[in-house]
Amino acid sequence: MKKRVGFPNALLFYKFSILWTTFFQELGAEIVISPKTNKIIKDLGVKFAPDEDCYSTKLYFGHTLYLKDKVDFLFIPRIGSDHEVNVGCPKFIALAEVLKSMFPDLPKIIMPFFSMAKKNHGRFKILRIIFSIGFRFTLNPFRILIAGKRAFDAQSKYDEELKFSEEELHKWENSKIFLQNLSIQEQRKTPLRIALVGHPYVINDDFSSVNIKNLLLSRGIDIITPDQMPKALIENQMEKLDYNMYFNYAREILGTTMHFIENNSIDGILQLIIFSCGPDSLIGEMSARYSSRKPGTPLLQLVLDELSSETGVLTRIEAFLDMIERKNEFRRNEENCHLHSLILDH
Amino acid sequence: MPFTFPHFGSLTHVFEVVMREVGKNDLLLPKKPNRRTAELGARYSPEFICTPFKLTLGTYIEMLEEGADELGSGSCHSWCRFGYYWPVQKLILEDLGYDFKFICLDYLRPYILLRTLQKEIGNGCSLQRAIRAVRIGWIKNRLTDLVDDLLYKYRVIETEKGLSEKMAETAFKIIVETKRLRDIKKLRKQLPEFFKKNIDVQKRDNLIKVGICGELYVVYEAALNLDIHKKLNELGIVVKNTVSLRSYLDMGLKLNPFVKSPYKTAIKAAKPYIENKCGGETLENVGDIVLCKKHGRDGMVHLYPFTCMPEIITRSFIPQISQEYNLPVLSLVLDEHTGEAGFSTRIEAFADMLIRRK
Ligand code: SF4
Ligand code: SF4
Repeated sequence: MKKRVGFPNALLFYKFSILWTTFFQELGAEIVISPKTNKIIKDLGVKFAPDEDCYSTKLYFGHTLYLKDKVDFLFIPRIGSDHEVNVGCPKFIALAEVLKSMFPDLPKIIMPFFSMAKKNHGRFKILRIIFSIGFRFTLNPFRILIAGKRAFDAQSKYDEELKFSEEELHKWENSKIFLQNLSIQEQRKTPLRIALVGHPYVINDDFSSVNIKNLLLSRGIDIITPDQMPKALIENQMEKLDYNMYFNYAREILGTTMHFIENNSIDGILQLIIFSCGPDSLIGEMSARYSSRKPGTPLLQLVLDELSSETGVLTRIEAFLDMIERKNEFRRNEENCHLHSLILDH
Repeated sequence: MPFTFPHFGSLTHVFEVVMREVGKNDLLLPKKPNRRTAELGARYSPEFICTPFKLTLGTYIEMLEEGADELGSGSCHSWCRFGYYWPVQKLILEDLGYDFKFICLDYLRPYILLRTLQKEIGNGCSLQRAIRAVRIGWIKNRLTDLVDDLLYKYRVIETEKGLSEKMAETAFKIIVETKRLRDIKKLRKQLPEFFKKNIDVQKRDNLIKVGICGELYVVYEAALNLDIHKKLNELGIVVKNTVSLRSYLDMGLKLNPFVKSPYKTAIKAAKPYIENKCGGETLENVGDIVLCKKHGRDGMVHLYPFTCMPEIITRSFIPQISQEYNLPVLSLVLDEHTGEAGFSTRIEAFADMLIRRK
């Protein structure tokens, strides 16, 4: 019988799902992924996770507990950092061990540790991890190697497809192309363009983001998310800071916000912030201050937690969109006036 | 250019010493944070940032009002928010219209630390002098920790109320003012005698001993922990801090092959629960809780600021450890809203439980 490996569908799974699932699939394991966050999972998490933890971690607890009796192994890697200098959120390192300590009856947890920045882990460490996991499922070292290779290839292909080139981004900023397939086009001639920034596991999780992404799409609004932004562009923005943004995953978020604040090329920025999240408390403040220093592009920050409701969020977004519309209207009128006066001058 | 830095319990003296050693005499020593400091800090801080941020921001504002214009801050590159304190505080203070310069000391990277001391604070002093300053810093840090320990013991058994506190003040003064290395080293023996000679005690045996662990700032800064040390002392409990800045600063301890560093021992003891560093003092704290009985303590108090990431992790292990070792552990979260009354009740209940167990 195939061994079943469970993947809690939360946090970094949103970033590395392809890598992880491909690897185990190639090893011949049965993949069990917890469903998209729903009410049951949320309630489990909120009930059993430590009170002070961030909402996203609470959801992770919920996903893990949901999988508890359905799998032989849980895969919860301890990722310290995947960059030479910059690190991840401390919660990622400790998750596996915290879960094991709080819930002794969980299935066996596979928890490889990887930390490039502080431990200098590199290819060699990855090989060791691959083999130490692989031998639990197959005795054939070639199969393990191939599984590893395919997994990494699949992930980098996925990442590449996700990212836009700078050229494409430029075209989008100038309304030459649309990113989303806006089937439900409203009467709008040119759709609004908004950057939806936040952790990938918040933006893409319809439940924890109270469905914001779909809400925007259904209004015929074209959105871009930080993981689609060209890497060079983000790094470029980070260079401008007088400190090093060493939370690796926060770089994308802050960089995206900074880029659009600087270029003033889109209609608005919508930032989703998780209550009591460490990195968010900082980049939220930074974004707000940078934006108030260069207030061209409106910025709306929404703080989300287990108590957020769709209606509450909806009102704020409506107000935000109205404000943008009014602003654009005003700008258009001004441009017209300008044009008139130019004509009259001649 | 008056230079200032955040108030940090007894470590304030250590910071002062290091600055003076590199020749920075234009110091504006920070005031103890009070209610106004907390309010100021909280008003301008991000909503759910960890509490030390708010208090240190409040301190900076108060000191800027008094004329400081160089602000010293720690910094790091680790799994914790501490390294972003100064960038965000800088943005906030700039928006408030202050004119100042931040000087940040990266205590996890010795070379950079020395460079900053040399160039930015010491006005181009020699590298030797910077090294000496840091060395004196850690040696004196051992002494300030020693005085803390003595105070937290003598305050329980003193006959004249308040005398040990006065003695501790004097002791800190002596530590700061002693200049020659030879004299400083002698203090290690002299300070305990100084306490013994000057304070009349009422001998009591079977004293209850409790270790206090947690996030560094909240453990050291009485303004944030509502002086929990004193509260426990008044309930007849001897306390000792298990965390210390020395786990980073004390190179002498790290390099000395003959002395076992208590921090390393703690990290080892934490291994069965959590293996890898995850910012802050998580490993040391988990280890110290595990080793509680071995160190002859009757219980542990774990303090952490609201939303502190590393210490929430520590907190999550406490139920398991306390069950396995049958330990009383009190974990308390603190922020600027923590009420005196509820806090005291919890401490008293904990003390009662310890007394009953003994
Ligand atoms: S980055 Fe923020 S939301 Fe994500 S796990 Fe860490 S604290 Fe939670
Ligand atoms: S250790 Fe905790 S309180 Fe201190 S800076 Fe880090 S997150 Fe904040």
